Amino acid sequence: MEDKGLFGKILAIVPGLAVMIGTLYVLRVYVEPWMKDAVVFGSKGWLVQVLSLNYILLSILTGMFYRNILFGGKIPAWAEEGFRTTRLFIKTGVIMLGSLYTFDKLLKVGGVAITLIVAFVFGTAIFVLWLGKRLGADRSVTATMAAACGVCGVSAAVATAPGVRAKPVDLALSIATILGFGIMTMFVSPFVGKMLSLSDYQFGAWVGTGILNSGQVLATCLAFNPNFAPGTAVAYGEIWNVVRVLCIPFVVFFITAWYWKGEADAEHVSLGSILASKFPIFVLGFIGMTALSSLHIIGAEGSETLHLMRDVMAWVFGIGLVGLGAYIDVREIKAAGGTPLRIGLIAGVSKYVIAMIIILAFIPKEGAF
Amino acid sequence: MSDKKKSLTVFKSDRHEDVAAIFASALIVVVVLVYMAFIVPSVGIKASQDGKLVEIFVTEGTDVKKGDKLYSLEVVKKKWVNNVMEEKVAVESFTAKANGKVLKISGKPGDALKKGKQTIVVLEHEKGTLP
Repeated sequence: MEDKGLFGKILAIVPGLAVMIGTLYVLRVYVEPWMKDAVVFGSKGWLVQVLSLNYILLSILTGMFYRNILFGGKIPAWAEEGFRTTRLFIKTGVIMLGSLYTFDKLLKVGGVAITLIVAFVFGTAIFVLWLGKRLGADRSVTATMAAACGVCGVSAAVATAPGVRAKPVDLALSIATILGFGIMTMFVSPFVGKMLSLSDYQFGAWVGTGILNSGQVLATCLAFNPNFAPGTAVAYGEIWNVVRVLCIPFVVFFITAWYWKGEADAEHVSLGSILASKFPIFVLGFIGMTALSSLHIIGAEGSETLHLMRDVMAWVFGIGLVGLGAYIDVREIKAAGGTPLRIGLIAGVSKYVIAMIIILAFIPKEGAF
Repeated sequence: MSDKKKSLTVFKSDRHEDVAAIFASALIVVVVLVYMAFIVPSVGIKASQDGKLVEIFVTEGTDVKKGDKLYSLEVVKKKWVNNVMEEKVAVESFTAKANGKVLKISGKPGDALKKGKQTIVVLEHEKGTLP
């Protein structure tokens, strides 16, 4: 393959990135304000109040429209490099979310978050390993699905696949299944949350526990409450999300160890080597940002400085979510099927519903901050 | 399909992407802080929530210190108490976040304010501080 050099690589990113930024600009500056004033069924703002449509959901839907209709199912070559910056924007946004917390606030909900997440992550992984055996699934497929359903969707499935000798097609089907499930929950959850009168704390905890993908957790929380501030759904959901992302290397180790234990030519896998290669170090940036916030270096709560910072954060996320939508290929999701689909649906729905029951039973409406 | 084509990142690996995200967020923070502390001479302070302007504690030309009261708003406070949403009207005072001088008073008591819309006070802040 031709080496473009650094300048050429940056230049290749520009067209796709311009589409993502331009899309978000039109949605935030023109479409969202218009929707707030639009009269539908005789009610002003019906689109926003009843359908919960805001720039977050619109960004994802527009991205899906580009990919599946405008581009005919594949991001064109001229835009591909730009759209591949999607995860960079989401990770940058997640790090900046660290500015919503101080360490004392994290400690207040950290215990609950860690308990719930660890129980659900390992509980789901163990359940999927058992279910895969019951359904007679291939051990590689079972291991990949356990990682995908248990911890953090795509990242965990990709991280586990090489260690358990998963075939590319198994990995693709696992990812398609959990992304398909995540998309469904992303659009359904805000309605369910409002129907059950969940508070921001309960909604963040539920979605952070029950939805499988980081980008989808953030998008769902922001669809429920689009504000970036302490005490909002996204502030709580992100604590759950970060705890879950931190579990990735441990789950990868656990599942890889399970896989090789059942193989004749068992190889030695150490937790240390997996931590070294799979630890998601962007989480350190999140903790660093919380440290800056705790030391009041980035402006006082309620200041115009923090207001500007959160506005920039909203743009960073919005750009990433246009890209997230453009990575949702309806044909790939339709292709999901067979055993991975059955395992994914059973595990995903169980986790989603049990998480809701536990949240309603044990998590109070009043948040910790 | 090559590995390059399947990759979801423009970077060599996820680890490189993580590092880039840390640098990108650090850069954004530095740019915002430098912009607010050294480039923006004054800021228009807007209501941080919907409410009715009750009182403005400063006048044009007044020097203010960080923590001095600027204005008060009558707001509806919503809080979950024992799993029930409680709403009560309260008057909250809002303070200066940095030392500076009041350049202009734009609001007047009785004004109904929307969050982030109308400017109440324009404040020139000391260079190097975060308004």
